[in-house]
Amino acid sequence: MQPKGFERALGLGELLSGIGRETLAAELGRALGRPIAVTALTGETVLGEPTEAGEGVRRVPLRYDLEVVGYLQARECDEARLRALGRILEFFFQSSARYFLASELHLEVVQADFQALTHKHQSLVHSEARYKALAENLEARVKEQVGLIEDTQRQLYQAEKMASVGQLAAGVAHEINNPIGFIRSNLNTARSYVEKLATFRRTLKTQGVPQDWAWMEADLDFVLEDFRALLAESLSGAERVARIVADLKGFSAVDQAGQSSVDLNEQLRAVGDIAATQIRGCAELVLDLGPLPAVRCQPGQLNQVFLNLLLNALQAVEGRGQIRIATDVRDHQIRIRIADTGRGIPEAILPRIFEPFFTTRAVGQGTGLGLTVSRDIVVAHGGRIEVESRVGAGTTFTVWLPVAPD
Amino acid sequence: MAECDKASRKITIKLVYYGPALSGKTTNLTRLHDLLAPDLKGEIMALETHDDRTLFFDLLPLGFRTPSDWLIKFKLYTVPGQVVHDATRKAVLSRADGVVFVADSQRSQGLNNSESFQNLEDNVRRVGLDFERLPLVVQFNKRDLSNIVSEEEMRARWGATPWPLTFASALSGPGVTQTFRTLAHAVYPDLDARFGLAARHGVGPDAFVSAVMGGAAHAA
Repeated sequence: MQPKGFERALGLGELLSGIGRETLAAELGRALGRPIAVTALTGETVLGEPTEAGEGVRRVPLRYDLEVVGYLQARECDEARLRALGRILEFFFQSSARYFLASELHLEVVQADFQALTHKHQSLVHSEARYKALAENLEARVKEQVGLIEDTQRQLYQAEKMASVGQLAAGVAHEINNPIGFIRSNLNTARSYVEKLATFRRTLKTQGVPQDWAWMEADLDFVLEDFRALLAESLSGAERVARIVADLKGFSAVDQAGQSSVDLNEQLRAVGDIAATQIRGCAELVLDLGPLPAVRCQPGQLNQVFLNLLLNALQAVEGRGQIRIATDVRDHQIRIRIADTGRGIPEAILPRIFEPFFTTRAVGQGTGLGLTVSRDIVVAHGGRIEVESRVGAGTTFTVWLPVAPD
Repeated sequence: MAECDKASRKITIKLVYYGPALSGKTTNLTRLHDLLAPDLKGEIMALETHDDRTLFFDLLPLGFRTPSDWLIKFKLYTVPGQVVHDATRKAVLSRADGVVFVADSQRSQGLNNSESFQNLEDNVRRVGLDFERLPLVVQFNKRDLSNIVSEEEMRARWGATPWPLTFASALSGPGVTQTFRTLAHAVYPDLDARFGLAARHGVGPDAFVSAVMGGAAHAA
């Protein structure tokens, strides 16, 4: 096995490279005074003219790397001079070899460095691809998480809506139960009056002629009078139920999918009516409604906002105080103010009240989303919601909504 | 790995002087060129920069003829010690039959020595040699300087390692031939096993060492 690269054996041809061989041979011949020749171990002449071996030919060995690589020879020459020229050639070999070794090694090192760089480059490309894949994956996962959060948020908003509706339901049930109760009682009484009339009819049939005593006995004067009153009362009760149902429908806007053009004052009145049973006896509700232009909105959603603010105000007054709802148009915007004379909100928590899940109420009493949802709805309508409060004096929420362009 | 060229009846053995920058590897070779007297001795070929730092390597060829008329050729290389020339060090170390690690005895050079030794171990493995089996001699050079780690301390530190330790002052000479002799003895068994130096070529271990050292075989 022969060493490769910088350690490979160098031939005579390589050792003599770099200088014109004819010039070298001519100059060596001039120095010796005789033509010279350099022959390889194979006998081939590599420098000068081939010399016939024979009498008068002298030759000296030429060494490189401890070994004889060729001969310098000339006819009938001074041996000491020939030997000196041989040494000079050997120096020349050494110098050539030095060049070859250095350049071969340099080449090896450059190739090794290049390979190392290529390898490094490949691993960089590989890791770049990995990070790219990871980044793409990350995007998908973030999207997935955002979707999950949005879903949860929607569910929470829905839950908040249900909570407000639940609060309403108790009041509404009571409100409806009351007229239903007295209507039922009236109908029972009416049934007994019908019995009395039937008895009177039987008496008429057996006696044949009208009997004053029978009329008197059945107390039909009273029955007629009371029947009339009872029917009137029941009718008004039924009307009350019908009105409540109408208010509820208006509040939830169940028959108004999407946007419609409404008078917000009507909506505020409906909300006031809906909450009336809860307000009654706890606070005085004052409506100060100025004329408003019609607004295109989602009435069900805005009603939720108004009810939220109204119920908050109701909680703030703690059973004694005034809630005032005022509307007007200011700077081409609709302004709705819901002010209470309640306990007020401490300054420290005022900036946080619109944060999701922020609540001062006991666990189970509120989701902490009421104001968050309210603000989102108002913002979705292109408006904003503001709050002013002083502890012990009361709180005013102001909803600003844009007036639709004509 | 030593090369065996049957056609031209020649075995070439490669020995490498390794170590941190400026620890005296080239000086070792220069001194060996002066002190050794084998049958055949070439000139040192130095490939250095203008400030005498080794750029590629230095090369000293030595040789002798066996009774069987084969040429046993030694090629003694140094590597460039500077950290940046690692690729060159690897190329030179490739196929080595034995290594002298030239450490700098000065107290300030402990870290350089150990980093270079670690580099030697890494590169030996990278060029496909077996570090556990590679003949290795550790030489503590520059014993002539004053601020050096004492021999006792060095022996205490390195005594547990499997490698022979030598102490030298390459600049003036002591220890240089002893280091070389120790390495020559260390590389012999493997060469003998592969090429039958004793059986086929009539060169026993002592003859092998004497032949390559010549007159210096018994010098200090």
